Amino acid sequence: MKKRYYIVMLRILAPVLAIVLSALISSAVILAIGKSPLQVFYTIFKFSLSRLDSIAIILYNATPLIFSGLAVSIGFRMGLFNIGVEGQYLIGAFFAALAGFAIKGLPVFVHLPLVILCGALGGMLWSFIPIYLKVKRGVHEVISTIMLNYISYSLIHYLIADVFLDRSQKLVEGLGGILTRTPKLPPSALMPKLHVFLGLFGIQLPRHVYLNWFFPLGLLMAYLIYYLLMHTPFGFEIRSVGQNPEAARTAGIKPERVYMAGFLLSGAVAGLVGLSDLLSYFGYMDLDFPRNYGFDGIAVALIGQNNPLGIVLSAILFGFLKRGAEGIQTQLNVPMDTIVILQAVMIMSIVVITKVMNDYIKRLERKESVICSSQNSSLPA
Amino acid sequence: MERAVVLKGITKRFPGIVANDGIDLEVKKGEIHAIVGENGAGKSTLMKILAGIYQPDEGEIYIFGKRERITSPGRAIELKIGMVHQHFMLVDRFTVLENIILGAEKRAGITIDEKNSRKMIEELLSLYNFSLDLDARVEEISVGQAQRVEILKVLYRGADILVLDEPTAVLAPQEVKELFVNLRRLKEEGKTIIFISHKLDEVLEIADRITVLRRGRVVGTVMPSEVTKEELARMMVGKPVFMKLEKASVPTGEVLLSVKDLVVKESTGKTVVNGVSFEIRGGEIYGIAGIEGNGQKELAEAILGLRQISSGQVTICGRNAGNLSVREIRDLGVAFIPEDRHRQGLILPMKVWENMVLGFHRKKEFLKGRSLNLKAIRKFAEKKSEEFLVMLSSIEQSIEGLSGGNQQKVILGRELSREPEVIIASQPTRGLDVGAAEFVHKELLKKREEGKAILLISADLEEVLSLSDRVGVIYNGRITAEFKPEEVTLEDIGVYMLGGEVKAGEGA
Repeated sequence: MKKRYYIVMLRILAPVLAIVLSALISSAVILAIGKSPLQVFYTIFKFSLSRLDSIAIILYNATPLIFSGLAVSIGFRMGLFNIGVEGQYLIGAFFAALAGFAIKGLPVFVHLPLVILCGALGGMLWSFIPIYLKVKRGVHEVISTIMLNYISYSLIHYLIADVFLDRSQKLVEGLGGILTRTPKLPPSALMPKLHVFLGLFGIQLPRHVYLNWFFPLGLLMAYLIYYLLMHTPFGFEIRSVGQNPEAARTAGIKPERVYMAGFLLSGAVAGLVGLSDLLSYFGYMDLDFPRNYGFDGIAVALIGQNNPLGIVLSAILFGFLKRGAEGIQTQLNVPMDTIVILQAVMIMSIVVITKVMNDYIKRLERKESVICSSQNSSLPA
Repeated sequence: MERAVVLKGITKRFPGIVANDGIDLEVKKGEIHAIVGENGAGKSTLMKILAGIYQPDEGEIYIFGKRERITSPGRAIELKIGMVHQHFMLVDRFTVLENIILGAEKRAGITIDEKNSRKMIEELLSLYNFSLDLDARVEEISVGQAQRVEILKVLYRGADILVLDEPTAVLAPQEVKELFVNLRRLKEEGKTIIFISHKLDEVLEIADRITVLRRGRVVGTVMPSEVTKEELARMMVGKPVFMKLEKASVPTGEVLLSVKDLVVKESTGKTVVNGVSFEIRGGEIYGIAGIEGNGQKELAEAILGLRQISSGQVTICGRNAGNLSVREIRDLGVAFIPEDRHRQGLILPMKVWENMVLGFHRKKEFLKGRSLNLKAIRKFAEKKSEEFLVMLSSIEQSIEGLSGGNQQKVILGRELSREPEVIIASQPTRGLDVGAAEFVHKELLKKREEGKAILLISADLEEVLSLSDRVGVIYNGRITAEFKPEEVTLEDIGVYMLGGEVKAGEGA
């Protein structure tokens, strides 16, 4: 049984190894642009971890990625690629914004949950199209979700710039037109920051930090998804269908039904991705609303190996890298793109290393059973 | 007489197991030497050593009297050792000729010298009396012909020692006969043949000498004229095996599974099951014999609801099952042992206990509220693993780490534990060693005694005949003959399996 712990150790070691390897490879890149890798990494760590507010910013950075990584991972668990988290979260954010600015006069404990729910609904709606097409018509979800991402960009643009443009903005003297954005959300729709809560523990965060309740909500979501996957019949079906749809079908599970429900769930989680930014930072949706969380989520899910805890950790890692990128840019004048390279190399090495590691673990497990069965079979019958 | 292959003290260890333990073997030039043994006895390892795929940890290999190290498959070919694999390694879309020369093409400038190759192959064909259409595509030829292509492949590469790994596993009786004719002809021309099998009848028929392996060791080398099948079986397993299964006489009950004029079509419109009808009563095993690919798989899948029924009726325990889902059909009490357990029966990366409840995970006893009752599931898996003698280190192990026999036992544990009324067993002992196969047979007979209806689909004629109460032969999607196993000879069935008629009026 000792071997079992060894295997668990290896599983944890794999991503760590990948991170180290990618740091080494990125060092070569940093050297190539004439900077010292040691100094760069030192700055990343110092800038990110030496101050409390910096750590809070890391967690804030990680918040949307937790949701996004979880959304992607639900797809992966079923053997589907939800590349459409990108579009789903934009639509979700818009739905939430709409529910925010269009409804007025509700108390916060009604309005805020409603807004969040609308976000989930928006994401779900946008994920319904590709999964319906897949289940009923056999359209590959990668193609349809990529297309829908583009459609969502344009749709959001149209909705913000045309239909729901806030025309009541006061023109600022000297500046040309009004901002292309939706009306502002009333306070009853906004997500409070964690400052007051953390203050109870003597942690004082400055005002420029936007860490809010979506972070703990993300952790809760990760736990819920873990529970769903490992402890419920539906989660069992998701994993079964993901690993071997043929065997699942033979056992009486309808893969199509699992795909449908699972993908909608993925879309609903995706709908929450943008809400941390929308409801605690911007307070409205404009054309500069952050993009790419959906794609980053794919990387986060990969590095987290579709494990909810792993996803939380890898989201925090990405948040840390983003913070560190700001550090090296401002302090060392090293381009932020270095971090993008680091992330890319990290994804590649994680894919390679987990593959190698999993094969090795598989061999170990087989060996273990061979030893065991040969011992058993040598017993007198 | 010259000795083609001499192995001295060959030992090959894998972590935790000694696959070959000091094997001594002498194969004379120009003989057909059979190597028999259960699955896991070390036959494949030994052959892979000969083919250059594995290197022995200890021991010496002599090929035609010279000590050699077979360091790679390429080296094996240089030494004139040719391997004919059990699973054909052919390119379906290529012609027979193209398949034979693939990887050893003669060149004319930058193009392939087809003319010379063809000439050479035709010489081989006439020398060994093989009949093959060189321009037919491999996807169009029969299994027996495909095997001849495999043999020609190694002859074309100049092999003098042919290693055939379970060559008869996929063949119909008539094709086996043809193969034997071919092999004898090869022998006459001085080729040495190493023939691996666990079908004792065939070994006794074709081999000049037989070497028996058990648990990595040589038990002995015998002449076929000196041993009986039972003695050989005893050497193989180390304990007497009942070749004839003890079959209690069981009163038959009501019809539990009835199939009437069943027609199943592929999505391409091709009819794969073409008007099949039969009834199975409780306490009865109905066997379906036939060469694979004649609609067996589709028949089983249609009954289980995995395939759309084009016309006809399936009645399970008195209920029309035509439009029911797999779940509903299973809930009527249908258990299914699929022919491809890796594709249809198990979810390989998942754990043993998870596989043990696959499909039954929504049953009341496995739920606690709306969540899975993991404790109850684990307990159930522990219990069934013990009951069905699954050898494992822990139920937390992923199922791919188990041997084929133990994987099949997990499937049996799962499928038979819910008191099914109808059991569809498709190739239930494929790839299992004698011990595991015996276990499966006993479980099926036990269910028969309990009054269940069993549909047994198998390409292994001996299995079908010894277990079944009635046998139907399927050919081209039709049941072409139906009889009681004691009424016919193997040869007659073979004729039906190949689409022939034995006597007018006897079929169907």
